Amino acid sequence: MPVEVWDIRPALAPMVSFVCALLVFIGGSRAGWRRFWSMSAALLKFIIVASMLPGTVGGVAYTFRFAEFAPGIGIGFRADALGMAFATVSSLLWVVATVYSIGYMKGERSLGRFFGFFALCVSATVALALAENLLTLFIFYEVLTISAYPLVVHDETPEALRAGRTYFTYTLTGGGVILLGIAMTYVVSDGVLAFGHNGIVPPDTTPAVLAILFVMLTLGFGVKAAIMPLHGWLPRAMVAPTPVSALLHAVAVVKAGAFGVVRTVHDVFGVELLRQTWLPDALAYLAAFTIIAASVMALLQDNLKRRLAYSTVSQLSYVLLGIALLNPWAAVAAVVHIANQAVQKVTMFFAAGAIQRTTGKTNISEMSGIGRRMPATMGAFGVAALGFTGMPLLAGFISKWHMSVGGFDSGMWWVALVMAASALLNAAYWFPMLYLAFFKPVSEEPTLGEARPSLLYPTLVCAVLVILLGLVSDLPGMPLSIARTAVAQAFGM
Amino acid sequence: MSVHSNSLLSPALWAVLLPLAAACLSLLYGRLPRRGRFLLLGTAPVASALFAAILVRGVLAGSSHEIRLVRLMPDVYLSLRVDAAGALFGLSVAVLWSFIFVFSVGYLRDDRYAGRYHTFSMLCLAGLMGVAYAGDLITFLAFYELFSIMSYALIVHEGTSSAIAAARKYIVYIAAGGSLLVMGGALAFSASGAADFAAGGVLGPGTPPTTATGAALLLIAGFGVKAALFPLHGWVADAHPAAPAPFSAALSGVMVAAGTFGIVRVVYEVVGARWLAVLAIDRGLAAVAAFTAISAAVVAIKQDDLKRRLAYSTVSQMAYITLGASLLAPGPLTGALVHITNHASMKGCLFLCAGLLARNAGITRVSQMGGIARRFPVTMAAFTLSALALIGIPPLAGFVSKWVLGYGMLDAGAGGYLVVLLGGAALAAVYLLPVVRIAYLGEPSEEREGSLAPARPGNEAAPSMLAPIVALTAITALLGIAAFADGSALSLARLAAESLAGSR
Repeated sequence: MPVEVWDIRPALAPMVSFVCALLVFIGGSRAGWRRFWSMSAALLKFIIVASMLPGTVGGVAYTFRFAEFAPGIGIGFRADALGMAFATVSSLLWVVATVYSIGYMKGERSLGRFFGFFALCVSATVALALAENLLTLFIFYEVLTISAYPLVVHDETPEALRAGRTYFTYTLTGGGVILLGIAMTYVVSDGVLAFGHNGIVPPDTTPAVLAILFVMLTLGFGVKAAIMPLHGWLPRAMVAPTPVSALLHAVAVVKAGAFGVVRTVHDVFGVELLRQTWLPDALAYLAAFTIIAASVMALLQDNLKRRLAYSTVSQLSYVLLGIALLNPWAAVAAVVHIANQAVQKVTMFFAAGAIQRTTGKTNISEMSGIGRRMPATMGAFGVAALGFTGMPLLAGFISKWHMSVGGFDSGMWWVALVMAASALLNAAYWFPMLYLAFFKPVSEEPTLGEARPSLLYPTLVCAVLVILLGLVSDLPGMPLSIARTAVAQAFGM
Repeated sequence: MSVHSNSLLSPALWAVLLPLAAACLSLLYGRLPRRGRFLLLGTAPVASALFAAILVRGVLAGSSHEIRLVRLMPDVYLSLRVDAAGALFGLSVAVLWSFIFVFSVGYLRDDRYAGRYHTFSMLCLAGLMGVAYAGDLITFLAFYELFSIMSYALIVHEGTSSAIAAARKYIVYIAAGGSLLVMGGALAFSASGAADFAAGGVLGPGTPPTTATGAALLLIAGFGVKAALFPLHGWVADAHPAAPAPFSAALSGVMVAAGTFGIVRVVYEVVGARWLAVLAIDRGLAAVAAFTAISAAVVAIKQDDLKRRLAYSTVSQMAYITLGASLLAPGPLTGALVHITNHASMKGCLFLCAGLLARNAGITRVSQMGGIARRFPVTMAAFTLSALALIGIPPLAGFVSKWVLGYGMLDAGAGGYLVVLLGGAALAAVYLLPVVRIAYLGEPSEEREGSLAPARPGNEAAPSMLAPIVALTAITALLGIAAFADGSALSLARLAAESLAGSR
């Protein structure tokens, strides 16, 4: 168990982007200030989060609690390894996404609103990542739900508004179920909601109560984690501007759901307790089904962003599957995949947005020769695509390998089969696109015309991250090492 | 085995890194000066060959080394290690690639995507060098996937509908094979907790037999796709005719062989010969290889497309290597390992000849080759010599491998497989000699003669295309004549086989 050290930083990190949001709302009509506040807050927050990494690696959990309203009920932050894994990725990608958004949104209207809510979303994400108890987690989870809405409907087209309504219907319902689950947990655990004890549900709880509680919490969080059949909102929400899709729908919002499930398994129930029930097996089968079914759906999409959305649905279930297997290797896969999937998917979204802004093309079938026109952008896309197919030395392989080894270790051969099938399906829906972009003969040779630097460089930075996460992810402070620390704590190793 | 004190001084590392650097450099292909770029890019394979030669010298002198570059995961490193088998394979790859590069300069002279070709070709070279020097299964898989997937770009290069279809077929086979490999690797790792290659294998005696069986079958089948073992060979016959000739030569010469090299590593250093014998997988593998060797040779006879005929010949020849590796004795393994090198030289040359004929005379079919030797005397002389070598006529390279293989089979008490060896050689004569006969004695067709410039000395082909063909033929002769000299490929293969299969 990590040593708790009183420190303001876990509370300060979300606060920075909250203040940034306020400043942007107040003075955000001026482009210069808006950029200044967004960029400096993004950098400052990343520095704060990164400054806690040495402590995390060294077995320290920085903790900060505000006053309790009632026994066991209060706001508190605690930077344990699992939370730091999520917070580091979110805050790093926020820096990159801010640069990208400034370039992408140039000339759009309502930018004060856009960047304000953008900052608010990230504030909520880091807050829920570093939440010390279930209630704090839930509060910021709901703040995230609400502040993502203006971003989804940013274009204010009827389609966007419809998508926003769908989004709210799904996520608020999920949130309600979670709240009921939390209330029930509070009763069952006799007033304890704090994480960090490898389970707050007492072992003598009756199986029926356990089952109801588990279903409520996992399915409640599962809405945002887009586990099938609760995934309907995600592909529709792709009407949002691309930076929103990239950061929120591949990193913050959906990962908040997956993160909630991880917390539920490791910190609400605990591995030891769940091992005696059938509940995690059911979750594993549902996740495995989602991995395959969503990939098949992705194959059928022609719109690039919709294909990316279904691919996200599929990849999120890696996290759920890994956590449900209750095996240390698979659990490492789950936690590290939060980072790996985020970086790979953001690269792809950035490339998709760069293509859309530069050429106006959104459908894959129109993209013949796009790789010869924009080689660097599509090269970055290709690296991420190879990452998803599990090519060694890229990020995705680390997840796939850990998951397969975990499956074999716990005697479940089908896990490796699911991983293999998923890798092949990823190849089936990304490789044809690379073929179109680079190799398909076109009647007229496209002239070179890359995206503008503010779109291109963030994309390339993310592609480099995909390689780094495959190559040096085990260095202290990198995702794999943090994930292993988190899992060692959860499994009491 | 010593751990190198400074990994940056390891020639193995630079043999891998230089081609990678060349790949990055050829992204700027269009902006580099016309002459300078060939010298610049050509430095990579030639320097890799020099580094590989240094490593071979080191291995022959009894030194070997291992470097760990970075820890990928707990107990899993990106590591390079130079042993005799790897040194031999690495040198074969780099030397063949140097000649292929020179040939491609002439072959792709008017190709507007030549830059793209060189980028992916250098990536493939880096992958193959990495495969040769990989110190553990993960590093092996990483480099193996690198060249396997990047090869797609080279097969699809010409952009014809047949190239596109062949490349699609290729990538489906290779992706499926790659999935089997990762599954098998994860299973072996889960059972043993180690990914390093180790003499005698990493699976301990306490491993459950089902686990050992699963790991062995998955890994062998995964590499079997690349090694073109029946029934996983479907991509070979389509990919070779579709690819540009220099790449067909690389594909047949060393890439398919990388699959057999993978099988050797799996059999002796991952699963272990002991486990294979206990589970009787060695016998199954030998039977499959024997069947592949004969049936592919039979199919080759019926092919009219020259590159397709040569491709089936590759399937057949590669099966010899798998057969030699599956007998679990040093003798046949020596023959198998030396055949990788010999075959690279012989088949590389044959494909370059086929490519030269296709580019300069538009000839792709055996039936079009009537009398072509009068117009392309040097090319057809080289083709004939390489064909004779492949059939196994002494004292050329192919004879040496088959002699050693056959002798090893008798020694290992598997003399029955001599039938396969002799039958294969007879069939090779049946599918290769008619090509030679038609080229020298056949009647030229009227229209072809009209379209070709008359034969004059120096008019046959560009020197950049002819020189590699001549050089490879010389190497084929040398590999045969000097086989029993000190420091030959055969002596290195013997060393490799002793250390792989001798320690059982």
